[in-house]
Amino acid sequence: MMDFRENTFRLSSDRNFGKAALMVGFVGLAGCIAGFAIDRDHFFFSYLTAYAFWLTIGLGGLFFTMLHHLTNATWSVVLRRFSENVMMVLLFLAILFIPIIAGIGNLYHWSHHEIVAGDPVLKEKSLYLNTGFFIIRAVIYVGIWLFLARGLYKTSLAQDKGYAESQTERMKKLSAPGMLLFAFTVTFAAFDWLMSLDAHWYSTAFGVYIFSGSLLSALAFITLVTILLRQKGYLADLITLEHYHDLGKLLFAFTVFWGYIAFAQYFLIWYANIPEETIWYRVRWLGYRPLTLLIVFGHFVIPFVVLISRGAKRNLTVMKIMAVWLLFMHWVDLYWVVMPSHSDRPLVGLWIDIAAMLGIGGLTLWFFWRRMASQPLVPVNDPRLTASAQLISD
Amino acid sequence: MNIKAPDAPNKSEQPLIAGNLTFHDVTEKISGVVESGTPRLWYALISITGLLSLMFFIMLGHLFFTGIGIWGLQIPVGWGFDITNFVFWVGIGHAGTLISAILFLLRQRWRTSINRFAEAMTIFAVICAGIFPAIHVGRPWLLFYVFPVPNQMSIWPNFRSPLLWDFFAVGTYFTCSLLFWYLGMVPDLATIRNRAKNRIKKIIYGIFALGWRGGNRQWRHYELAYLLLAGISTPLVLSVHSVVSTDFSVSILPGWHSTIFPPYFVAGAIFSGFAMVLTLAIIARKVFKLDNYITLNHLDKMNKIILVTGLMVSYSYVVEFFMAWYSGNLYERFTFWSRATGPYAWAFWIMFFCNVVVPQIFWSKRFRAHIAVMFVASILINVGMWFERYVIIVSSLSQDFLPSSWQYFKPTIYDIGMLIGSFGIFLTLFLLFVRFLPMVAMSEVKAVLPQANVHHQGPEAIELETGNVRG
Repeated sequence: MMDFRENTFRLSSDRNFGKAALMVGFVGLAGCIAGFAIDRDHFFFSYLTAYAFWLTIGLGGLFFTMLHHLTNATWSVVLRRFSENVMMVLLFLAILFIPIIAGIGNLYHWSHHEIVAGDPVLKEKSLYLNTGFFIIRAVIYVGIWLFLARGLYKTSLAQDKGYAESQTERMKKLSAPGMLLFAFTVTFAAFDWLMSLDAHWYSTAFGVYIFSGSLLSALAFITLVTILLRQKGYLADLITLEHYHDLGKLLFAFTVFWGYIAFAQYFLIWYANIPEETIWYRVRWLGYRPLTLLIVFGHFVIPFVVLISRGAKRNLTVMKIMAVWLLFMHWVDLYWVVMPSHSDRPLVGLWIDIAAMLGIGGLTLWFFWRRMASQPLVPVNDPRLTASAQLISD
Repeated sequence: MNIKAPDAPNKSEQPLIAGNLTFHDVTEKISGVVESGTPRLWYALISITGLLSLMFFIMLGHLFFTGIGIWGLQIPVGWGFDITNFVFWVGIGHAGTLISAILFLLRQRWRTSINRFAEAMTIFAVICAGIFPAIHVGRPWLLFYVFPVPNQMSIWPNFRSPLLWDFFAVGTYFTCSLLFWYLGMVPDLATIRNRAKNRIKKIIYGIFALGWRGGNRQWRHYELAYLLLAGISTPLVLSVHSVVSTDFSVSILPGWHSTIFPPYFVAGAIFSGFAMVLTLAIIARKVFKLDNYITLNHLDKMNKIILVTGLMVSYSYVVEFFMAWYSGNLYERFTFWSRATGPYAWAFWIMFFCNVVVPQIFWSKRFRAHIAVMFVASILINVGMWFERYVIIVSSLSQDFLPSSWQYFKPTIYDIGMLIGSFGIFLTLFLLFVRFLPMVAMSEVKAVLPQANVHHQGPEAIELETGNVRG
């Protein structure tokens, strides 16, 4: 079992969760290898879906950390280390991008010269959509994320050893241009890795769409982890019901924001009715109708109705269920974005999808947990820690 | 629990209101503006703005009499200054709602100094905005077609038309903003009523104060209503300009049809709205000596919001240009290339300079605290945001799918006159507001004074001023 030292805010003898995550990860990886052997194309699509799921959570963590610094927030000081640990999974996920590079040929039809040669639209785009430039861009995106995440994390850990005003300033100074870099890298990563699966299709809102899901899932993940720790009796004095109320408000707000962007994108394409744009939704309506409806109701209507009430946001059971549900819906959303480029019908080869989720997920959680256990769970020397713990919501 | 937190000074937690004011000082200062004699300057200003408004209405008469041909409109440019002005003015309003609703929900207490006149600005901007769609229809007596008229009239409004949605969106926006503004003002109106020396004033302010006595129950209901209205107004910040953006984006016109339009328009609206709040705040601060209320700290925060929203707008420009190229679509590529190099390139580069380059100065802390610099920047940004709508509307329309019908859009004296006239109306309303209504929310400002904190143990005793202390 985990052991928690009250005076240092550290987890120790935590090995069990980490071990369990690692085991699950290896089982998933074994499944992935089997999937790779049996249906190589499908494996890469499953892998991309799972990768995008965990990556967007990490990116959401990076965003939330930078937002915290830029807004000078007090309430979220007790959550800061959590969002920092979430953002640090990007370090690990950088390595897991390699299989996607290996699978470019299976995933992206613009990577085949003979297809491009016979396709006037792709020929127009080949300056951007080609394997070499794709890899260079990916290295730039990941490099920027790692630079930001490491810089913020290092300063934050230095603060644990001893507080200096300059640390706070440094984290702010890094976050301000970081936000700008984040916006462009996430957008173009979304264009490259997800939108170009259907290389004919384009939507200017696509980057914002992926970002909205990313932040929502990161908030859900932080909510879930803190509630699970609380159930073991940890940090209950620091992360109080008031913080969950605020997290609930943010989950609600970004549920609405996601719905707003998703609807705007759909609605404008539906209304203008230009075939080269509507095809993307048509494929998802003809073959993936149940999933499309599940996203409409599950990703928006249900969390909207549940989280709107004050009582729900202050009820940890409800919050826990909603956090799990929103994470699940985030995966469904990405599955719905990725998979129609591969197969006409959903849930074919679902076991490979699950294996990829467990594989990447298990390893990512193992990595996450190592971070959690190696440092105090809250930024112990942040001057506003006490004020944050005494938050009164409303 | 033993948290060892060093007692480091936190720069952000300096008092929101400078000058160590008491509750009484606040009442004296803000009510004083309304109660004292009218300054000459005010008469001078309102004469000018009144004349500009008059010019607007004379031109309106000519427009109704002659028709919209007096503007520079032609086919294919069926929308010119009229809709540009509409989008511009609706956009201006958004900062007020963001300050009063979203910043309230985000517990940003610094908003109290600026929310009242920002909300007033919202209402006046929406009034200016509402005029243009109404008069641009050519046959204004048929305007009611866009209203949701009951079926008995045998008119079936086209619910699939964005122009009808505009009516709902702007109508809702105006109603909610007005209610929010008025509700927030009730305690302050009661203060002015209580202090009024003249019987007529007492009666008029008394009517609008709705019998406010400042009792505990009244405050409880007031605060609940305020919270609910903030909650209702929050989606309006996003929805109104999103609906306005659908006027363009539901079409198939290159340069108009873009899925990023709704959030992009919202960011642009907040950007220009904050610039307008800044312009007005700097003037009001100077004229009425409100330095203690609108401190450099407030201006710094507003400039940061301008920088953030300016970057969002810049992001949209980049993504739109990239996507026009990436689409591989000849028409998309042409439209965007032509914007930057074609006949309206001058407008595009004004827009680019004002909206992308100018806000970058706010990366510097020095400029965020430099009044003259931010004043110029705030005006340039609004110039840029007006041109943004002009570029979107006119450049996309004038070079449509049929090159034989292309011709350069030239505004007439009536186009320009009505744009200037709408500023006259806006400023006239604003001048009336600062003269007759409390331009800073006294009751809210008092609540953020250190003395309002129950744990405050300063040397000054807490001064209770009946009816004016919150909660």
